[in-house]
Amino acid sequence: MVARYGSGSNVLATGAIYNSPSRFTPYIGLLIVFKFLRAFGLFLSYDLLKLVHIVQFLFIVKFGAAIFLLFLQKPFTSGPRLTKRQWFRILRHAFFGSTIQLFWIFGLTLCGPVRTILLFEHSDLVVIAAASALFTGQGGSPAKIRGGVFMLLAILGILLFDHDDEAAHQSNFHPEGHHHHSSIITHMFYHAVNWSGLSDHKGGVVMLTLTICLNVGYNTASKKLSVDVGGAKRLHALSTLLSSLLLLPWASFIYFTRESQITVSWIYVLFPFIFVTLLVFILDYYVEAVCVNRLEIARTAKIGAIAIFTSAIFLGCFWNHPFVTHITTMQAVQEIVKEDHVLSGGVIFSFVLFMFSSHVLTNPNKGSKGSLVGYSAGGLPLYNMAEEAFQRTSHSVALVLKNGLKQILEESDSRRIFYFLCMNLFFTFVELVYGVWTNSLGLISDGFHMLFDCSALVMGLYAAVMSRWKATREFSYGYDRVEILSGYINGLFLVVIAFFVFTAALGRLFDPPDINTDRLLVVSVAGLVVNLFGIVAFSHGHSHGGGGGSHGHSHSKPKQHNHSHHGHGHGHHGHGHSHNSHNHSHGEQECSTKNSNMQGVFLHVLADTMGSVGVIISTILIENFGWNIADPICSLFIAFMIFLSVVPLLKDTAFVLLLRSPLEIEESLQVALQKVLSIDGVLSLRKQQFWSHTSSVMCGSIHVVTSPDASEQKIVSQVTAIFKELGVQNLTVQVEKEAYFQHMSGLSSNFDVIVEMTKNIKALNFQDPHSIKAV
Amino acid sequence: MNGKHTAGLGGSVALGTIHPFGPHNSSRNSFLKMVAKEMDFLMAEPKARRIIAYAAVNIVCVFILLLWCHSTNSMALTAYSYLAIFDLLRLLTALITLWVQKQGPSSVFSFGYERFEVLAVFSSTMLAQLGSFFIIKESVERMIQQPDVHEGRLLLGALVAFLVHIFMTYSVENKAFNHVVEASSSSWLQEHVADISEGFCKVVPGLSRLLLPRINPFALIAFAGATALFVTYVLIDMYNYQAADTWAAMCISVMTFGTMFPMAVYSGMILLQTTPTYVIGQLDKCLREASTLDGVLEFRNEHFWTLSFGKLKYPYGNFSDGIVLFVDGICVFSYSQVVY
Repeated sequence: MVARYGSGSNVLATGAIYNSPSRFTPYIGLLIVFKFLRAFGLFLSYDLLKLVHIVQFLFIVKFGAAIFLLFLQKPFTSGPRLTKRQWFRILRHAFFGSTIQLFWIFGLTLCGPVRTILLFEHSDLVVIAAASALFTGQGGSPAKIRGGVFMLLAILGILLFDHDDEAAHQSNFHPEGHHHHSSIITHMFYHAVNWSGLSDHKGGVVMLTLTICLNVGYNTASKKLSVDVGGAKRLHALSTLLSSLLLLPWASFIYFTRESQITVSWIYVLFPFIFVTLLVFILDYYVEAVCVNRLEIARTAKIGAIAIFTSAIFLGCFWNHPFVTHITTMQAVQEIVKEDHVLSGGVIFSFVLFMFSSHVLTNPNKGSKGSLVGYSAGGLPLYNMAEEAFQRTSHSVALVLKNGLKQILEESDSRRIFYFLCMNLFFTFVELVYGVWTNSLGLISDGFHMLFDCSALVMGLYAAVMSRWKATREFSYGYDRVEILSGYINGLFLVVIAFFVFTAALGRLFDPPDINTDRLLVVSVAGLVVNLFGIVAFSHGHSHGGGGGSHGHSHSKPKQHNHSHHGHGHGHHGHGHSHNSHNHSHGEQECSTKNSNMQGVFLHVLADTMGSVGVIISTILIENFGWNIADPICSLFIAFMIFLSVVPLLKDTAFVLLLRSPLEIEESLQVALQKVLSIDGVLSLRKQQFWSHTSSVMCGSIHVVTSPDASEQKIVSQVTAIFKELGVQNLTVQVEKEAYFQHMSGLSSNFDVIVEMTKNIKALNFQDPHSIKAV
Repeated sequence: MNGKHTAGLGGSVALGTIHPFGPHNSSRNSFLKMVAKEMDFLMAEPKARRIIAYAAVNIVCVFILLLWCHSTNSMALTAYSYLAIFDLLRLLTALITLWVQKQGPSSVFSFGYERFEVLAVFSSTMLAQLGSFFIIKESVERMIQQPDVHEGRLLLGALVAFLVHIFMTYSVENKAFNHVVEASSSSWLQEHVADISEGFCKVVPGLSRLLLPRINPFALIAFAGATALFVTYVLIDMYNYQAADTWAAMCISVMTFGTMFPMAVYSGMILLQTTPTYVIGQLDKCLREASTLDGVLEFRNEHFWTLSFGKLKYPYGNFSDGIVLFVDGICVFSYSQVVY
């Protein structure tokens, strides 16, 4: 499936759709005006809510809206008859809808209108786009991700940087003082807020954020119902009516059980109520529906969001101006309730971010991701979008976890790392919890340090699992070289750690700080015990370094490697080499047939152990003798030790990565090459290249120049046999005769190559295989 | 071969995998001697002399910067100065490139020394990432307990680090890194900047030459880091908001991580001897073409991998039919026609 996208055609397409922008101006104007009025209505309702309980408020507004909608929509007479089941679903819809709206209005009372508008007046489109960009990775272009991040930052901005000072110092008496908890929601909310330690308007911010997510889910879920019932508007009308009926008992209960705290005559609040009902619940709904039809949904969302945010900020600046209060007939309220929320730098910051993110998120997508295939004859890029769209299947998390765990536990190396990791994490967890409990910063930061160390273990674990994956097109040898790379990275990691410890110690050497040693000893001893476990676990079965006594272990090694690369497609499973080479270079062999990944992990654990020992020693010295200088000296020593211990690992892995010819067969290689030369018909050797692919698998390629009448098959099998004995499993032999060089020089147009080839022809009698430089 | 060594450490079986003292002392001495010899050899080259002079300047700057980091106690500045240390590694890589160009294959390194470049690039990008990882960890610890930051030298330090970084990026011709920058996939930072600048270029088309298709990642990280430090300075100076330093440090290290990651992946894939994804299609074509040749039955164990930057290892494999001699050559040629 090859789709064509060109910048030219793109422009054309957009031009074709929007050829007359003036046609849309009335709708855009309408949308902007009514969004402003909606913001106005929300400000008004905030003031009203100071007088009226939220449930009563919602009931009155819903009831008013229902009356209007009954006249406008005639839901009982217009559509098809509804079944009992459909009525039940509408009732459910009404119930959830009014719950969400209760939360929303409660949030409004807590945060004030400006913040509520900024947080809640996003269209579903924006929220869904932000969520999919942030959490699924399928959001598309980086612009969407940026939009999502900005949205998150904006919410955080309101949550963290908005001080709202006036409200803050008034809220001291607010919850408990003159409202005694007015309903169940408030009661529960204040408990939750008290528990989390947020100030209550910040609790409101969190609640509004959660509520808008709920609202998006609710709207999406109700789409199917609206189709069944016969139109979104009919559903809206019926649902509004039902929810006002649902709210009636609660509202009347509150009306009869509690006398209003502030007595204002009904005349004062009647007009505002009609206003709010019309602006917020009726007109806005219809105008938005019309605009979505005429403009497209994304454009409506963009213009609506920008309009309502700007008007919220605008109104926020001028709402408490005496002139405005005079118009809104809210003087009575103003005189009674003085407290109010103010604009702050944080709100302005979030306002800018919200504007930006809703602008970005409602922009049309620039075509979905496709991989560039090439260019058409006209010079337009061609994309292939088949894979992304069709091959993505989702796995359940549980299944992935289960499979991962199974893979990990399959083999001893990864199992060992996994168990140690679990132990380490458990220790860290205990340390962190204890640190938080006793409020000890030293413990907490040590816990983070442990977590940081765990990252090396995680990498080792991943590499150990990965090294058993089957070969693919890209990794044609299989993944087992990952082990070497992971060992190298772990080595670099240790070098970095040593460097940091070193610089920190240098800094402290000149002015040794006073160290608070309480509990340090206990923690470091516990850490030492954990790490000693690790050392025992990792050195068991791997302790083949240095000691001549560990002979038996090293013979069992090749078996483990056998696991790691069976099924790679190359049929050579001869691991006889290891026995062979054990015989002659003993120490060297052992030092490089081990698993570099495991060695890296082991060194990490060792470095940690040294750290713990250092801390114990320096703590004892400081406590008993007051030698504060002991700490930096210990650190210096540890840094040095870590560095020294990591050098061999780095060297070994670097040699493998650099394709150096294997150290351990260096001598026997010469013998083998001599043997090859002595085969019947072999004249000389070219390009003999040998390298270790991993610590146990060796590869090689060799060009054998033969006399014209020699049999290729025989020579290939003989040469392969010779090197197989040496342990080179993956050998490529190219048999070359004189005709080959002539052919090559005929093929190559390049002068240098011809020169080289003619040289090669001359070198047919060249006997010394070791000086490749000359060839 | 080294019985002395094994005898010396025979007792410490538990710490078996390490033997730092035995033969390595002597090998290190010889290693140093070898390095000194090669340096003498390199010093004949004016380019190498220039790089070494720059490296000396860089070391001095890094030293000064680290001192200032210590005196300001600023994590963000530390994160930013690590870029200067990374510059030092880049200079080293340039030096290695120069050295590699003078070497041919030897019996030990039968493929030649080109891989040293790849390893150098991989190591330096990895070290930069690990350093930033460390900074992130330190920043998390600082979030619990925010120490005071003295903003006095902050701006000056940012300026010096920025200048050093930009100078080292643009003044030294660094073949290996240039290749990696061009060939690796874009970092997220680059992608976002490219996306923004695309919008920008719609307004001012003249800028497209400067901003598109993508900006040098090193220059980008230098600008972004300097901006973060400037914002930190303003926040601390005006609002005394000390935590800004920690946040800026986090930002800079995350950006550094993002910048280095694609390069590390690119060079790591070479080190892992993988077939580059962009040639798989071409290779399939070549193999199909080759399998139509007379006498070819099938291919077995064909492995294709890159030896160094931009150099594909000769396609090689075991062919079931020993008679085929020329497939190798044809593949190489058709490959080189298509790609280069």
